[in-house]
Amino acid sequence: MRWLRNSWGRPRFLPAITIVYILWSIVPVALAVLFAFNDGRSRTSWQGFSMRWFTGETGSVLHDPSLQSALEHTLILAVICVAVAVPLGVTLALGLQRWRGPGSGAVNTLMLLPLVTPELVMGVALLLLFLQIFNGWGLGTTAQAIGQVTFAVSYVVVIVRGRLVTIGREYEEAAADLGAPFRDRLMRVILPLLAPAILASAGIVFALSIDDFVITQYLSAGADTNTVSMLLYATARGAPSPALNALATITLVITLVTLALAYLVYRRFAGAGSAAEAATLGEV
Amino acid sequence: MEGQVQLESLVKNYRDVVAVEGIDLEMPPGEFFTMVGPSGCGKTTTLRMIAGFERPTSGRILLDGVDVAHVPPHRRNVNTVFQSYALFPHLSVADNVAFGLKYHKASKAERKQKVAEILELVQLTGFERRKPHELSGGQQQRVALARALVLRPRVLLLDEPLGALDARLRKDPQVELKALQSEVGVTFIFVTHDQEEALTMSDRIAVMNDGHVEQAGPPQAVYEDPETLFVADFLGVSNLISAEATGSEGNCCTLRVAERTLRAEQGAISTRGDVKAMIRPERVRVEPAGTEGENRMPGLVEHAVFLGGFRELRVRMLGGSLIKAIVPNDGTPLGYEEGDSLTLHLPQDALRVLAGSPAAATDEES
Repeated sequence: MRWLRNSWGRPRFLPAITIVYILWSIVPVALAVLFAFNDGRSRTSWQGFSMRWFTGETGSVLHDPSLQSALEHTLILAVICVAVAVPLGVTLALGLQRWRGPGSGAVNTLMLLPLVTPELVMGVALLLLFLQIFNGWGLGTTAQAIGQVTFAVSYVVVIVRGRLVTIGREYEEAAADLGAPFRDRLMRVILPLLAPAILASAGIVFALSIDDFVITQYLSAGADTNTVSMLLYATARGAPSPALNALATITLVITLVTLALAYLVYRRFAGAGSAAEAATLGEV
Repeated sequence: MEGQVQLESLVKNYRDVVAVEGIDLEMPPGEFFTMVGPSGCGKTTTLRMIAGFERPTSGRILLDGVDVAHVPPHRRNVNTVFQSYALFPHLSVADNVAFGLKYHKASKAERKQKVAEILELVQLTGFERRKPHELSGGQQQRVALARALVLRPRVLLLDEPLGALDARLRKDPQVELKALQSEVGVTFIFVTHDQEEALTMSDRIAVMNDGHVEQAGPPQAVYEDPETLFVADFLGVSNLISAEATGSEGNCCTLRVAERTLRAEQGAISTRGDVKAMIRPERVRVEPAGTEGENRMPGLVEHAVFLGGFRELRVRMLGGSLIKAIVPNDGTPLGYEEGDSLTLHLPQDALRVLAGSPAAATDEES
């Protein structure tokens, strides 16, 4: 253990702990991905590389209708969620940022509630809402989308408001000073400056939606509103098949690619000076 | 001539805090007007009210005779150079400068020409495609100036635009800014906490303190004839002497200081009672100990400081006041060291009785 004792440089046990942690968190995922390519039904013993669970004749993601519909439904929900939650969140963030006066404090706190409320509580609450009050809409895609938007909006608000605070009011004042009415201040100055944050939140909302299980499960209505996460949960113990690993792998890749794209575009748009924010996004 | 600004009993309160308490100011067209004062004196709030970012609690802001106090900023023919410049980081230099031209009736070719002209004026031709973060602080400041001036405002407001520059680089921009103002002939309203900057550049200054104007006028007049203790103390270095005003002889006020009599020609000479007398260090004469005559006071040298072009003597005068005297460095030895006694000559035409002390105020009212 002599290499651990390094009186001059940084203490070496800190990077050591970090490495152990990263391995611990990556290994299970890596194993799950690995067995998606197993040339056999087993999910514990390696029988050679194959793409059969992705594109094979039977039981593959490509040819199993239930897996395919789950993937499709997951992506549709994610797109709806981004399309609704992001514009809504940006509008709320802009409004809340400006609102000074009685009630603004309370609303600011309330906006954060969905972030800390246990998802199970929210799921049950939303289920009751759709069964008792909005029973005309019933359960299914609409309810699932509304449910996901409900908690995803908070993330958008938090990210966009953070950026608004960093930007400050001066650019907007400068635009007004140069003669721009409110609409132009928004379109020519505020939104371009917010673009990185908007993209970042879109990436995060997309990932959150794909990842969500509890709320989506509560508000589902039968097999055609199953998502990938629900399918994985339901069949993981009952009928294990590497096709599920393949499905999970596809979801994982989509999520990672989305986040990577958001990160890259963010860096490009934000330029120098927002490296810290880019890093926050990277962590997510 | 356009570009006259008049402030009439302008007041701004934030809840219970009074930021500006009833300002009356005349800013003549085509002049370089400076509001100077310590932080929190209300100068920036006043500027922001003229720009339209803050709405006055009461009072009027007349722009060429028209009250604009409640006109939103984008409809005022007034432009601002911000302390941090606030250049749009996502736009190039040319797009920044052209930003406001969209709201002026001008063809695309005209706009392009105006941008080229103004960039030439601020010596930034060739920088059109750069982004703000690729420019130095001084260049950014000039883009901010160009962006505002290209709109031909009646009044240009400048919020400490030199504050973000390195102190060693500030002398040149001071001169350039003044030259630019003379060239374009637009009224400049400049805000700074730097008294030297204010004195160097302005046609007229207003010294502000605690939300009100202490004194306004041409820089030399305000420097030479400070009306209040605050102005005397804030602009330049002042020696303050506690004295008792006992009467007047001709156009002089007689002051008693430590059983001796001084005569003062300047300031509030009709004041009686406890007052402060003030004299600039460069007006104090140093004479050998024992010299007799009018307005002479004995003193003891506490410090002799060499400052290159001149030397500063800090002398404890009879009566206890600390007096700074500036002696030019003309190559001869100074002749005084710490602990030496000497005579201070406080010429009566340089000695000023200040209003603003409580005694003086009550006297003026009666």
